[in-house]
Amino acid sequence: MASTVIGAGITIEGEVSSDEEVVVQGTIRGKLEAREAVTIEAGGTVEADITAGPLSVAGNVTGNITSSDRVDLQAGARVVGNVKATRITIADGAQFKGNVDMDV
Amino acid sequence: MALLTVIGRGVRVRGRIQGEGELSIEGHVEGEIAVSGEVTVEAGGLVGAAVRGRVVTVRGAVRGDLTADEVIRLEDGARVVGDIRAPRIAIDKGALVRGLVQTAASGAPARAKGAERAAAAPAVQKAPAAKPAPRPAPAARPAAAPAPAPAARPVAAAPVVVPASRPAVASALAGAPARKPPPPVVPALKKGAKAALKKKAQ
Repeated sequence: MASTVIGAGITIEGEVSSDEEVVVQGTIRGKLEAREAVTIEAGGTVEADITAGPLSVAGNVTGNITSSDRVDLQAGARVVGNVKATRITIADGAQFKGNVDMDV
Repeated sequence: MALLTVIGRGVRVRGRIQGEGELSIEGHVEGEIAVSGEVTVEAGGLVGAAVRGRVVTVRGAVRGDLTADEVIRLEDGARVVGDIRAPRIAIDKGALVRGLVQTAASGAPARAKGAERAAAAPAVQKAPAAKPAPRPAPAARPAAAPAPAPAARPVAAAPVVVPASRPAVASALAGAPARKPPPPVVPALKKGAKAALKKKAQ
């Protein structure tokens, strides 16, 4: 289990920066920065720009995503914002509106 | 499990954390925390603002006020600079505190459990409310007593004053059923005594 979890029912309004893995089941509004993997689980909501390592989204994201690794939008995910990453997958059933920028 | 939130060691949050569920802080939080469940600031954890929860346990550092609806526990290694308010407070050996500590019902006991406590709290508050009542009576006694003494002989109004003061004392005694002795008489300095002392000093 990841060492940092934002549980369902919790809302963080502000800036979150992390040197470790983050799992979001609740809500973050503001800004999210992580060096390691970030997982936004179904039911999780992030209304913020995200800077992360590998990013996996099954919940809602409103904001721009920048990843130093890959971004996986899973079925059920809803993302509004631009995605910049080296690799990206969008699963069947994921909703996505925004630009994709893949640095090659 | 789903409602458990952990702010890990390498995490820094600048902003407000609120909601329901359990919250464990091992990293840094610079912002207010208001959670309906249990809040634990672990050893190494640091919170730079007010913390509010049902149960608040501190093993790390907090710079801000702590408020809990049930219990606050400051365990070994805790460092708290701020006021502490909860119905029950435990401060362990090895915990450092600087601030006001108050064991009283917290500001907003809105939940069912809090309501029980709120029901108990007024009962406690009623007792002290009854106690201050007799206090005016002793104050009335010396005030009333000297008055009738000189006035007793010449005027017939004196008997009127005495019965008026007596029922007040009687009712006060009835109100506080002989449990509490009257407050001790504090010897007062004579008028001008302080000035005299000052003069002596000079």
